[in-house]
Amino acid sequence: MSDKYVIEIKKRPWYEWLLWAVWLFAQVFIVQNAVASRVELEPRAETLFWISFVVLLIVGGVVWFMRRSK
Amino acid sequence: MSNQEKSKLTRRDFLRLMGIGAGAVAVGAAAKPSLALSANPSFEARHFSDPAGRPQRPWWVKTVDQPTTEIDWSKMQRYNEGYKPEFGTGTVRGAGFVEYIGQEKGDELNKKSAAVLKDGIVNNVPGYTLKDQALVTANSMRMPMSFLGPQKAKTPEERGGTKWTGTPEEGARIIRAAMRHMGVATVGFVELNENTRKLIYSFDPDGKELVFTNDAEPSETETQRLIPNSAKYAIVYTIQMSEETMKRSPTPLGQQTTMLAYQRFTVVQGSTQEFLRGLGYMGLGSSTINALAIAPAFGVLAGLGEMSRLNRMITPEFGPMVRAFVILTNLPVATDKPINAGIMEFCRRCKKCAEACATGALSFEDEPTWETRGPWNNPGHKAYFEDSVKCMTYWREVGTNCGICFSVCPFSKKDKAWIHEWVKAGSSVAPFLDGFFRSMDDAFGYGAQKDCEEWWTLDLPEFGTDSSGMI
Repeated sequence: MSDKYVIEIKKRPWYEWLLWAVWLFAQVFIVQNAVASRVELEPRAETLFWISFVVLLIVGGVVWFMRRSK
Repeated sequence: MSNQEKSKLTRRDFLRLMGIGAGAVAVGAAAKPSLALSANPSFEARHFSDPAGRPQRPWWVKTVDQPTTEIDWSKMQRYNEGYKPEFGTGTVRGAGFVEYIGQEKGDELNKKSAAVLKDGIVNNVPGYTLKDQALVTANSMRMPMSFLGPQKAKTPEERGGTKWTGTPEEGARIIRAAMRHMGVATVGFVELNENTRKLIYSFDPDGKELVFTNDAEPSETETQRLIPNSAKYAIVYTIQMSEETMKRSPTPLGQQTTMLAYQRFTVVQGSTQEFLRGLGYMGLGSSTINALAIAPAFGVLAGLGEMSRLNRMITPEFGPMVRAFVILTNLPVATDKPINAGIMEFCRRCKKCAEACATGALSFEDEPTWETRGPWNNPGHKAYFEDSVKCMTYWREVGTNCGICFSVCPFSKKDKAWIHEWVKAGSSVAPFLDGFFRSMDDAFGYGAQKDCEEWWTLDLPEFGTDSSGMI
């Protein structure tokens, strides 16, 4: 048994950062629309935007968790 | 490395995230700068960026040489607003309606209308209650309006000076600045030539003939209103209606925002006429509501909006939630060009207004047509002509103006949410997405009729409109 370890550190590729940027922008966009829909007195639109926000948040969380544990 | 250490956010990652977040907000704010960059979005003072005071419009609103409505000037004739039996033409407004349906039917509908309104008060029908109808009456109060204007302002000579002079750009800019201050949403200018003169009514609603003359000064007789040929420019402007209020249509409550826009018009027209007089120029206005000129047509030529399936003008900024008006002047002004913001193209696929129309008065045709639906339409342009008799009949049946088509239109938005700007831009550059946008508009519940009693609990801004929308 060797007493040496080889630790391979992989830098996240640029496109992964880009995808997270898109995800974050989508979240900001959806939250703005949700909040603004309340101002616009459009309750159905507000609800749908909040649902979209939660769904995308969960998707992002799951992806992040899976990537982290790799 | 433990899991705890693994989940720690490094300083580098943190800075990256902050960078991404700031970028996301910046991109969103670029779509709607006033939301992010102004401490108080309801007031944002800027200087005109154009010598003529033309507004800085969204990038997807393109200036074009020809309007998106095809016009055949050789087939277009001056049209009479008031119905003229000798021509068999005229709009359905006022007495014209009875001419098209007959006196008996007219009387029957008037009785029906009165009964609906009475029932609304007796049974407290939402939107028809006493307070709703009282508000309609209140907002129907108007300032005196006339072709020549109040004529009370001192002329430059009476002040001991000479008339204002400046370049056409300066003329346009000061008119825009003044009229915006008076409560106008948008202002544009069109030169009156052989063609555009055809958009001046031949007869006003009161039956007086509008005649162009070589007289130096405008005048009015028992039968005619005389427009000097030197009045070479049309000032066309819009006044906003309350989208939130119109969403209560068709009820008297929904109607009163239209009445309020007309009331404000009477003030703006008189003020503008007096302002022009004070500068040493003439300002010729409407003698009554819907007089003098086909204002939406001038609006389209001046680039304030595009024609639509409603057969009304839809603006990029306020959708159809505006009323358009015209004043003629001899003050030299820089004129404007039409626009293409993808609105007419969107109407081809949308049809939401036609589907929502209670009487099927609006066109379901895929393409606009040269064929009119009746003598209440003015031929010479390619449009989605409406059956105005069906429309007006419904007004009588519900005892009030309608406005359903205005309120369901996907362009009728308050524009607080970034999505609206994105959809309008997307529609302009990628018309193949129009059907999808229409479906989403339905899915998100836009255009649904709102609770009339709730309206009385809302703390709406002045006139129920948002003047920070643009410009």
